[in-house]
Amino acid sequence: MTMLMNLLYQTPFLATAAPRRGFWMPEQASTVSGEIDSIFMAITWISIFFFVLIVILMGYFMVKYRRVENHKTTSSVTHNTPLELTWTIIPLIIVIVIFYMGMTGYISLRSVPVDAYEIDVTAQKWGWTFEHPGGAIETETLTIPKGRPVRLTMASQDVIHSLFIPAFRVKQDVVPGRYTYLWFEASETGRYDLFCTEYCGTGHATMGAVVEVYEEDEFKQKIDELLRWIEDIEDDRLFVAGKRLYNRCVQCHSLDGSPGIGPSFRETHELWGEQRRLADGRTVTVDENYVKESIIYPAQDITEGYGNLMPSFRGQLRERELRALVQFIRHLDRFDDEGNLLEEWQ
Amino acid sequence: MSHSHEQHGHGDHPEHLGHHWDNVQQQFEASKLGMWLFLATEVLLFGGLFVAYAVWRGNNPELYAYGSEYLDVTMGAINTTILILSSLTMAMAVTYAQLNRQTALLVCLILTFLGACGFMIVKYFEYADKIQEGILPGAAFYEPPANLEASKYWNPDLPIIDRETLLALRIQEAEREREGRPAQIDRPRFGEVSSVAPAAVGPAGFDPDAVRARHVRGEKSNVHPLQDPNRPINAHMFFNIYFMMTGLHGIHVLVGMIVIGWLIYRAALGHFGSDYFTPVDLGGLYWHIVDLIWIFLFPLFYLI
Amino acid sequence: MSTLSTHPSGTNYLNHTRGIMSWIFTLDHKRIGMMYLFSVLLSFFAGGMLAVLIRLQLWTPEASLFTQDQYNQIFTLHGAIMVFLVIIPSIPAALGNFVLPIMLGAKDVAFPRLNLFSYHLWVFGALVFLLALFTGGLDTGWTFYTPYSTDTDSAMGGVIPALTAVFILGFSSIFTGMNFIVTIHRLRPPGMTWFRMPLFLWAIYATAIIQVLATPVLGITLMLLAVERAFGIGIFDPALGGDPVLYQHFFWFYSHPAVYIMILPAMGIISELISVHSHKHIFGYKFIAFSSIAIAIFGFLVWGHHMFTSGQSALMNVIFSAITFSVSIPSAIKVFNWLATMYKGSISLNTPMLYALSFIFIFSIGGLTGLHLGTLATDIHLHDTYFVVAHFHYVMMGSALLAMIGGMHHWWPKMTGKMYNEFWGRIGCGLVFLGFNLTFFPQFMLGSQGMPRRYAQYDDYLPETVQLFEFYHQLSTIGSLVMAVGFFLTAGYLLHSIFFGKRAPANPWGGRSLEWQCASPPPHDNFAETPTVGDCYDFSVLEWNEQEQGYTWREDVPRPGEERTA
Repeated sequence: MTMLMNLLYQTPFLATAAPRRGFWMPEQASTVSGEIDSIFMAITWISIFFFVLIVILMGYFMVKYRRVENHKTTSSVTHNTPLELTWTIIPLIIVIVIFYMGMTGYISLRSVPVDAYEIDVTAQKWGWTFEHPGGAIETETLTIPKGRPVRLTMASQDVIHSLFIPAFRVKQDVVPGRYTYLWFEASETGRYDLFCTEYCGTGHATMGAVVEVYEEDEFKQKIDELLRWIEDIEDDRLFVAGKRLYNRCVQCHSLDGSPGIGPSFRETHELWGEQRRLADGRTVTVDENYVKESIIYPAQDITEGYGNLMPSFRGQLRERELRALVQFIRHLDRFDDEGNLLEEWQ
Repeated sequence: MSHSHEQHGHGDHPEHLGHHWDNVQQQFEASKLGMWLFLATEVLLFGGLFVAYAVWRGNNPELYAYGSEYLDVTMGAINTTILILSSLTMAMAVTYAQLNRQTALLVCLILTFLGACGFMIVKYFEYADKIQEGILPGAAFYEPPANLEASKYWNPDLPIIDRETLLALRIQEAEREREGRPAQIDRPRFGEVSSVAPAAVGPAGFDPDAVRARHVRGEKSNVHPLQDPNRPINAHMFFNIYFMMTGLHGIHVLVGMIVIGWLIYRAALGHFGSDYFTPVDLGGLYWHIVDLIWIFLFPLFYLI
Repeated sequence: MSTLSTHPSGTNYLNHTRGIMSWIFTLDHKRIGMMYLFSVLLSFFAGGMLAVLIRLQLWTPEASLFTQDQYNQIFTLHGAIMVFLVIIPSIPAALGNFVLPIMLGAKDVAFPRLNLFSYHLWVFGALVFLLALFTGGLDTGWTFYTPYSTDTDSAMGGVIPALTAVFILGFSSIFTGMNFIVTIHRLRPPGMTWFRMPLFLWAIYATAIIQVLATPVLGITLMLLAVERAFGIGIFDPALGGDPVLYQHFFWFYSHPAVYIMILPAMGIISELISVHSHKHIFGYKFIAFSSIAIAIFGFLVWGHHMFTSGQSALMNVIFSAITFSVSIPSAIKVFNWLATMYKGSISLNTPMLYALSFIFIFSIGGLTGLHLGTLATDIHLHDTYFVVAHFHYVMMGSALLAMIGGMHHWWPKMTGKMYNEFWGRIGCGLVFLGFNLTFFPQFMLGSQGMPRRYAQYDDYLPETVQLFEFYHQLSTIGSLVMAVGFFLTAGYLLHSIFFGKRAPANPWGGRSLEWQCASPPPHDNFAETPTVGDCYDFSVLEWNEQEQGYTWREDVPRPGEERTA
């Protein structure tokens, strides 16, 4: 059966050899994708067979029995039970087979190998946070090793999101209030898309990331870099590190002074040391403390004119990262509106 | 809107017979079938809430054990009796209509109406009591009652146990219980604690067994739930479903009162008799379903 | 052909009373049906224009025509309008209202006042829905998923008006369903046993059962949602101990059967169209009739297949997948029976038949791709991608709506008393068919390649992916424009026919069910006397009458009523 399905999949019209993109499916980059694609192609061929059968019969009847004169009498056959039972039972058998294939494929999608590498995933509007064992955190990319099962344990901070990696053929909703999980084992190195597939509001279409698959050695190196990079930057140049962390803020906070979902960092920078009016009528001094508090407890001081929309970053940023962000806003005059470092500071 | 009648003034048709019917019997049977279908939709409307009740009760049985102690069984029982009696008078009204006994019909309809009023009055006292005590659905449950003096549960000497405190208490207890036992989930990991906040609330996040074991049934509560350290997490959930279901039922009783009022008006004008009693019959069917739903609600909330 | 075709006074339902009020407060099922038809087509125009905007937005990956928020509102409105205001009422409420009582030989539906009330409810619901646009807009998607929809910080302000509107529309649909069930039970004429009813009535009956039994659950779900949003009582809010996935169960318990509210009556129309325009007895009447009922019943048991990735237990997924496949069998039966009906027929390739043939083509694709989605292993990959979008447009738009338009052409002479231009009819059908397939077929590949639904733009991803997506999106957009031209053309010649069309004969196609026995357009009370019925698919008793330009009863065959005496 499997051989037959593989044979079907190899047909030139519909597929190219893995791992390149096929006509139907994207590249096969995980251990399960071959199996899923075989099932997909088996169903597709069954569908094509029946579709062609129906359309050929329909076309043939259309031409053959086309009305040429208005007086023709037609056959008065009203039914034929054995024939009708035939086209009830044959599809029934076929769908039972399809159901079984789907079920076995699904079971392998949900059965996590015990030695899986565990990554904690947090979803929030509109971005992902991936935390590796050991504390390395990344947001724009998900770095994983090739040839080792990876398990994602996922939780959402706000609404339902869904993590989808087409090249791995995996998808799972991320639901607030509970953990869900997902596993895969990458079989090819490379870069692959990661999408959010559950509608989650304004930034849904841009809530993506890139999955980067490396060989084991290179992967270890990357994780080390992830852990170390901020330590490598000198204390008085932490604002450069802050610029890099700003990736996680860019969805809502601009650098050019235009108000977004949250106030622009430019505006916050210009108010440094002065008073900012809050939504509840209080005012607050814009300083290191205020910025830090706002990242960790965003609901505490809502700027006038904005809603309580920011998720808390408590536990997601280490102390040095927080400091880097504070320095970035404080020294925003060293960057232009696009966020490029001015020449005198390079 | 009677142009159809004017156009088709079939002489042998009674006034209440639509132009598209062959005879009174056909129209009556159709109306009755229509009413039964409508009752089916009513059952499914409430069915959704009954399913919600079952799901939540299955997930959090301790909430129901706890919450039902704040309901007054006596009042519930009085209301049950009232509704059953009013169903009886309604059924009698239908019979009297069929027998052409105008006065008896009118009396029975008025008695039914009074029953409905009685039900709503008792309901008013029950709701007023809950509102005064601040035992309300959702986030409002966690506000202390507006008038502390008038509350019969509130004890000024006791502190308020808010959700966070309660959660911390429960986690402490659960951890104490777990001590000495091997960790249930032992997955290999070489890192620190997860950055994902523990889901202490929600269907997948808490082990209700501990709470359930602690709570002893049958002791009439005399502590305000907000001051009760034995209160289960999310105790407000019971009152969500309580107010949703009894509220929707209450709205149906009000609609029933309008229907019965209209029947009284028409019966007083002498519209009904052995040849035409469809509205009484259909109104009766509606009233019985309202009664029937309460007969399920009473044990589900007050007794078990 | 004289006794039944004309009313003694020579008037018909269109002109027997005059003035706008005689329409708005009419109790005549035909006028109510026509008002539904007009309102549904108006909503279809609105929803269709939104669809074109969606397609134009996605022409380029940067998609700069609208902001993300605007786009999110557009697709939400498109979905909500098309589902609640167009497809659900289209066939049952518009065509069903017009045709059902006449097919039964009745003067009206069982409860004419209730019928008018459901139309007024529909209009009221549509107006309340408009209110959502002026109270902050609506961006939840037509599914109103929690906790997004209940979170006042996330979703826009129009959620509660929209929920109220859908609640009202739901009751409009329930009352229509109740009316039809009672009408079919109690108003069948002598001689019309259950198995002598036209198959369209079986389909409407099965649909009405779903409307009556499923819609109340939607009602209570929306009420819970509205209360949750207004008071934050925490039913679906995990922060207060609620469960957001519970909402999905509630919602799909209605909305999956609702899919059959859309497709079953369409299948009923196709059974009529194929048989009449092939001039041949429908093949396997009982299999088709029972398959409608089977679909209605199985339809209630498969809602969980919308939630394979939601985190519900694996066992539940397996069970729901198994039951889902059972729905495919009755659908397959129908397709084969339609083909067998065409076999050795005398097939007239006129506009209604072309729509019916398009239906078979499109529904086959829509149904077969359902196999990919019912299969657990592949659905995980395809869920919430454009594959799903393509699949349900093939079923809901290409099948249900095209069947409705086919049915509209079939009964147009009956409804308006005018013939439309056959040549332009065929051109219009061809354009719609080509445009439809060009719009939605590329979306299958788009989806299987990974493009998620409800994306306002797609430039943020790997270049190779973006390039591929752009190619398919552009094909799709071109197709949508072709389809739009086809629909405008159709609207044009249909409007033209009202004013300038040829007078329609009583029976232009050679139909045998009772509506073809009364005049075109029918008189106010349909039949002066209750007609007697025979086998409504036995066309051998009809012959083409050159003078009438339609079919008439053969001189040498006695009418059913006369058989006994003769």
